[in-house]
Amino acid sequence: MPYNIVVLVKQIPDLELIKINKDTGAPVLEGVPYRFENLSKNAVEAAVRLKEKYGGKVTAIMFGNEKGTQVMKEAYAMGVDDGYIITGYTESNPRFTAKVLANKIKQIPHDIIILGNQSADSMSGMLGSFLATQLNYPLLSNALKIEINDKTVTASEGTEKFVADEAAPLPCVISVTQETNEPRFPPVMMIMKAGQKKINIEPLNLPAESYSKVLSKLAPKSERKRIIFEDMDKGLPEIVKVIKEVVK
Amino acid sequence: MRTLIFADNYDIAKQIMGRALQDSQFTLMTTESNEDLQNYGAERVIFLKGQPVYSCIGETIISEFKKGYDFILIGSTTIGRDVAAYVSNKLNIDYMPEVFNYRFEGNKLITKRFSLGGKVVLEEESSAKVLTVTPGIGEGVRSEKKSPSEEIKIPDGPIKVLGVNPKQSQGVDIEKADVIVSVGRGLGKKEGLALIEQLAKKVKGEIAGSRPVCLDYHWLSEERQVGYSGKKVRPKIYIAIGISGQIQHIAGMRDSKTVIAINKDKNAPIFQECDYGLVADLYKAVPKLIEML
Repeated sequence: MPYNIVVLVKQIPDLELIKINKDTGAPVLEGVPYRFENLSKNAVEAAVRLKEKYGGKVTAIMFGNEKGTQVMKEAYAMGVDDGYIITGYTESNPRFTAKVLANKIKQIPHDIIILGNQSADSMSGMLGSFLATQLNYPLLSNALKIEINDKTVTASEGTEKFVADEAAPLPCVISVTQETNEPRFPPVMMIMKAGQKKINIEPLNLPAESYSKVLSKLAPKSERKRIIFEDMDKGLPEIVKVIKEVVK
Repeated sequence: MRTLIFADNYDIAKQIMGRALQDSQFTLMTTESNEDLQNYGAERVIFLKGQPVYSCIGETIISEFKKGYDFILIGSTTIGRDVAAYVSNKLNIDYMPEVFNYRFEGNKLITKRFSLGGKVVLEEESSAKVLTVTPGIGEGVRSEKKSPSEEIKIPDGPIKVLGVNPKQSQGVDIEKADVIVSVGRGLGKKEGLALIEQLAKKVKGEIAGSRPVCLDYHWLSEERQVGYSGKKVRPKIYIAIGISGQIQHIAGMRDSKTVIAINKDKNAPIFQECDYGLVADLYKAVPKLIEML
């Protein structure tokens, strides 16, 4: 039975390319490119696999900005059929992001909504639950295996301590982890085709909501000693001494 | 102030109670069943029994909160984060995620959390009433008075739990290790682990690894992954071998007491984040180190 699968895709600044201003400790974000958020890739992979298994359509939604087209093209290349970018994202606020996404999801046919359980920039890990609560759908969180049987989804939820096999009625929200699958590298043909596909860009039609006043946003001070040896004969005895102070 | 705490993990439960003790009276709700949690100053300890489904746990927290609390602290675990968002949304109260430090200034709440993958600390003022807090938020303080306890059954919801299996684990808990020997991509080959194991044995340490080593190459199991997206560790000694020191990794080992790094690239960022660094080929340095220990 074919399903309408919605997958939520996120772009984040390429974190490794963010430099810190040595004088102020502030992050330098200008010129830093965006990239596909890691777990969003796992989410797209999970969505496309469900389509391949059961048939149906995968629609991706991103709350981001115009620069998101690159990531959306990558999602197309992985097998996403249709993509929407809602522009106007300003800051991480999962409760508001859920509201924006829920609004869009309500406009398109959907049986199952898939997203990554935590994204690599602020790791809040709350979007799935906010979204499910706002849509009044169940959430199967940290799903390792996902199967659909008619109108029921079963998934094994992996927590820190146990794996629980759970079942929920459709429509349903599912969050995935880095353990769920290994995202595919799309073949060149798919990448070329993806470049020509239309991406729907829509402006945010809700007033932005902020949930905090930022007092400071600086790199933590590293208090490390940074005693570096380039000569092994000098360095190793020092290191041995340090280790032996702790390991008796 | 009265605080309601939820934690599904014994260690985090103790840590949050230790922190809450500083400025409030508090109740602990937990899915753990360890009675020792009654020894850390809670007014009451509520043991939740039944299937650990986030929304159903959320409902029990909401009914307890309505009895008269000002603030909710939730241990940041997979279930904890889902519970926190559920409670924030249902009670329509503000939230703040992944808090590692907070304080009150008058009526204002000031929180600290990491952002941009751990590169920066965000210090924020907000009216948040439900916080997810990260491990290490406080330290449990034993109380002479034992907290009274009760049991509440978690109600059923739309999610059916068909079965629960303890996670297959090799029984390692690197978060508790005093000494960690951690390897990165610089190891070059899986066979190199034999050498690392010798060193780990010598220093009575646990082996850990960076994201590529655990996730991409599968040389080590995921429960040994240190990083922003893995385990956050705080050993007395952290020995980073062949680890370049990307922020992803640093964010998981930043709280280590002493960091030793061995890497052949002298420009590797790990040398900015270590106490003692050795620029050397690990296959030459580590055998010597083992010999000298």
